[in-house]
Amino acid sequence: MTPFTKYLKLSTIAAGGLTLCMHGAQVPQHIDIKQLSKTVEDVVVPLPNEIFGALNKLGTVNWKEHVRNDKGSNFTERPRIALLLGTVIADGFIAVQAEDAPTVKEIGQRVLALAKGIGVGNSITPHAKAIIEAADKRNWDSVRQELDRTQNSVQQAMNEVHDEKLSQLVSLGGWLRGTEVLTSVVSKHFSADGAELLHQPDLLSYFQTRLQAMPEFNLPILREIGDALVKVKPLIDVGNARIPPESVKKINDITTRLGSGIVTRD
Amino acid sequence: MNAPVKVLLRGSSLLALIVALQSTVVASVDDAQSFALQAAEPYVKEGFQVREDYWGGDLGSGEKKAVRQQLFKGNEYWFWLGTEVERAKISVHIYDSDGKLAEEPDGWEKGHFAAAHVIPKTTGSYFIIVNVEESPEERTHWALVYGFR
Repeated sequence: MTPFTKYLKLSTIAAGGLTLCMHGAQVPQHIDIKQLSKTVEDVVVPLPNEIFGALNKLGTVNWKEHVRNDKGSNFTERPRIALLLGTVIADGFIAVQAEDAPTVKEIGQRVLALAKGIGVGNSITPHAKAIIEAADKRNWDSVRQELDRTQNSVQQAMNEVHDEKLSQLVSLGGWLRGTEVLTSVVSKHFSADGAELLHQPDLLSYFQTRLQAMPEFNLPILREIGDALVKVKPLIDVGNARIPPESVKKINDITTRLGSGIVTRD
Repeated sequence: MNAPVKVLLRGSSLLALIVALQSTVVASVDDAQSFALQAAEPYVKEGFQVREDYWGGDLGSGEKKAVRQQLFKGNEYWFWLGTEVERAKISVHIYDSDGKLAEEPDGWEKGHFAAAHVIPKTTGSYFIIVNVEESPEERTHWALVYGFR
C-alpha cells in the first residue's frame, strides 16, 4: 500500500472516531467455552517482557542481578541452538530492563551468530544492527521492539523452511528463561500477585504437546525439559487457589537447572 | 512445438499460476495484518507495545474463530482486528476462561476494523473471539494483532 493511501486510511479511522460503533450492549455477557474447542487457534507465546512489565508494576525489581553475561556453549545441533537462541533473546529483554547497554549489544551479536548457526542469519542481520544502534542511543523501547522483531523474523524464517519445531523451541527457550527470572524475583520478595503471574497452565500444556511431537530430536536436554514440565504443571495449575511460596521456589529450582542445561554442553 | 518444450511450457504456466495464486492468498492475509496494524498505530503513542506475532486466516460471513491467549494481571491489552475487505463488518470480543465477558466498554467496531480492550483481573487464559459478521466475499481474510503496556 502506498504511504498516501495509508495516510488516507488512518485519517479515515481518526475522523471516524466519533462515529465508531462502541460495542458492549449487544455483546453476549457469557459464552460456552466448551463449544469453542474446535475453533480455537494456537496461542501466541507471550514475550518475556510482557511478564517483566507486569512484575515491574508490583514493585521495584533489581534487574541488574538477573543480567547474564554467559554466552553459552557453541552447539552444532540445531534444536539446541534454537533453545539457546530463545534464551538469549529473553536475556536481551532482561538486559533492557536493567538498561545495560553493553550487554544488550553483546546479545545483539550473539543472536546474530546463533541465527547464522541455524541457517537464518540473513533475516536477522538488520535487526541485530538495529538492536546495537538503539542500545547505543539507550532507546530501550526500540530495543524491545527489535528483540520482538528478531524473534518473529527467526521464527518466520524457520516456518518458511518447515522448521516449525525449531521455531517452537525458540519460544520454549524464551519462556523457560522468563519463568526462571520471574520465580527468582518472586522467591526473593514473595507476593501473591507476583506468584499469580505463574498461572499459565494452558501455555505449559501447549509446550508439553509441542515437545511430545518432537521424538526425532533425541536430545537429553529436551527429555529433561519434558520431565520438568510434568513436575511444574501441578504447581501452577491450581485453579482459583493461590500459588504458595514453596511452589514458586520449586519452579525456580527446576527452571534454573534447565537454564543451566540449555547454555551448557552435555 | 516439440513435446518436451510443450511440457516445459505447460509446467512453467502451471508453476506461474501456483505462484500467482499463492501470492494472492499470502497478500490477502498480509493486507489484513496491515489493516490491523493501522488500527493499532494510534495506541503506540500511548505506550502500547504492539507484538510482531499475529493470528490470521479466513472466515465465511457469520463465522467466528476463538483465539486463546495468556494474559497477565497488571498489564493492559488491546486487540486489533483487520480485514482487507472494505465492506465487511467484523468484531472482536474478549472472554475469560469461564466464558464471562472480560473486556472494557471502550472497544470499537468500524467496518473492516475492530478493537477490544482488556485489563485482566486475573492472570490466565482468555478467549478472543473474532467474528466476520457480514461480508460480500465468500471468504474474508482477517488478522488479529495485540499490544500491551
